[in-house]
Amino acid sequence: MTPDVRSALVVGLGNPERGDDGVGAEVVRRVAARALDGVRALHLQEPVHLLDESPDADLVVVVDAVLGPTRPGAVTVHEVDDRPLESWTGTGGTHAVGLAAVVELARALDRLPRRLVLVGVEASVFDTGTRLSPPVQAAVDEAADVVVRLVQAQQVDR
Amino acid sequence: MHVHVHGGAVADVQLRIYEPPRFFEAFLRGRAFTEPPDITARICGICPVAYQMSSCLAIEDACGVAVTDEIRAMRRLLYCGEWIESHALHVYLLHAPDFLGYPSAIEMAQEHPAVVEQGLRLKKAGNAIMTVVGGRSIHPVNVRVGGFYRFPTRDELTALRPTLQQARDDALATVTLVAGFDFPDFEQPYEYVAMRAEDGYPMESGSVVSSSGLAFPAQRFGDHVTEEHVEHSNALHARLADRAAYVVGPLARYTLNSDRLSPLAQEAATAAGLGPSCRNPFRSIVVRAVELVQACDEALRLVDEWRGAGPPYVQVTPRAATGHGVTEAPRGLLYHRYTLDADGTIQDAVIVPPTSQNQASIEADLRSYVQDRLELSDEELTRQCEQAIRNYDPCISCATHFLDLTVDRT
Repeated sequence: MTPDVRSALVVGLGNPERGDDGVGAEVVRRVAARALDGVRALHLQEPVHLLDESPDADLVVVVDAVLGPTRPGAVTVHEVDDRPLESWTGTGGTHAVGLAAVVELARALDRLPRRLVLVGVEASVFDTGTRLSPPVQAAVDEAADVVVRLVQAQQVDR
Repeated sequence: MHVHVHGGAVADVQLRIYEPPRFFEAFLRGRAFTEPPDITARICGICPVAYQMSSCLAIEDACGVAVTDEIRAMRRLLYCGEWIESHALHVYLLHAPDFLGYPSAIEMAQEHPAVVEQGLRLKKAGNAIMTVVGGRSIHPVNVRVGGFYRFPTRDELTALRPTLQQARDDALATVTLVAGFDFPDFEQPYEYVAMRAEDGYPMESGSVVSSSGLAFPAQRFGDHVTEEHVEHSNALHARLADRAAYVVGPLARYTLNSDRLSPLAQEAATAAGLGPSCRNPFRSIVVRAVELVQACDEALRLVDEWRGAGPPYVQVTPRAATGHGVTEAPRGLLYHRYTLDADGTIQDAVIVPPTSQNQASIEADLRSYVQDRLELSDEELTRQCEQAIRNYDPCISCATHFLDLTVDRT
């Protein structure tokens, strides 16, 4: 890792055995495959496990399936700022600590990363099984591109 | 949750919080006998190890395989990691806020950051064990039927010691913290069901016992436990054959095995005001804290005694048979059963998680609990019922304030 390359952590959330909930893991797999310098890619099934990751990276990007108003496959980007995060995904995994709660808990403990960006892919089908629904599958590359652009923009911004 | 109050008395309580993993059971049919540990680990993001352990035991039982003492010790260490992580998460992020009067851990963290940091340090310690033993912190990839793909080295384990010693101190501090909470006077005459092992506190091996004197091996689970479909929900209520509802989890484990706690955990339990048994579900937070001490103590013992002898796994050759496995997930007894054909293809799978087994008792608790609190507003009643449900640390699939309480007063 060259000294002037800033570090980024990319985390895909969700359960790959629950249909569209697997989109986070799939997007992160694509990002990891690009083998970008200074980028660490990780899949976590539960948002609460983000709290075990130290916020040393200059940029943390979290990718997750979201329930949204637009259409399945729509990719949204949210830069976490001073405003409290409203419920992001509408679900809390299996143990009721959702991504919004994790972010706000980190904020209360002064543990937010220097920069935190949430990339959401609107999803609709959460049946048991490993297949992403067609609109969500079609959005994977777009979401991966969004993540890569965020990481690369961070790296040139000195 | 729906409550029907008629003439000042609770006529009915119906709870819909948990969906049993029937789709996973169906999904497993046609898969190979080597796959359940990886597939079922996805059922719960907080206790993947529990699913891996119970599924390994069930497959090994079907194939007539017993693992070595070293493999069992390493499984136990991995389980310690998960218990520490899961209990720390529940005590600090989900349950303590209830007792301290905070709507959630976020508000609690704003006023007591050091307390929450202590909990997160514990969680991270559990995570560290799971990374070293399991190969990856969140979904252990090192687990396979028959054991592990590789054992950690003595150096890798020894490197955990400082973290585990700090965790043990944090666990003891946790017991002190929660022992001081106010607990409603509420006791239920539960029948408790837990495992009991040849020695030690039950985690990764043993047979099943109950507080009314039942004792049976995993293979007889289906003879003693029936699941009946409940009309108002997707739930299957588990019942001991010919008996009422039962409870699994820390209270059951503790009551049936308090003599098996390590001396340090035993001391912590006594100092916290726990006797040899506990039937107040609100005190489950104290029992979980004691189990945190137990798991940290046990992890240190296992790390210190580790010799790394022998292969990391034993060969498992498939055969046409049915196998059963029970282990103690952080939330309680977890049962798996698989039927294999001669080449190891799964014909049938049955998974009975702890939250499933507690459903009937949770409802019964709420029925009694709500009866004495009917004068409360729906909002306050909801908050208190959520706290009562959290006693069981259930696996649920909805948001933090998950209880949509409707009360019909007629």
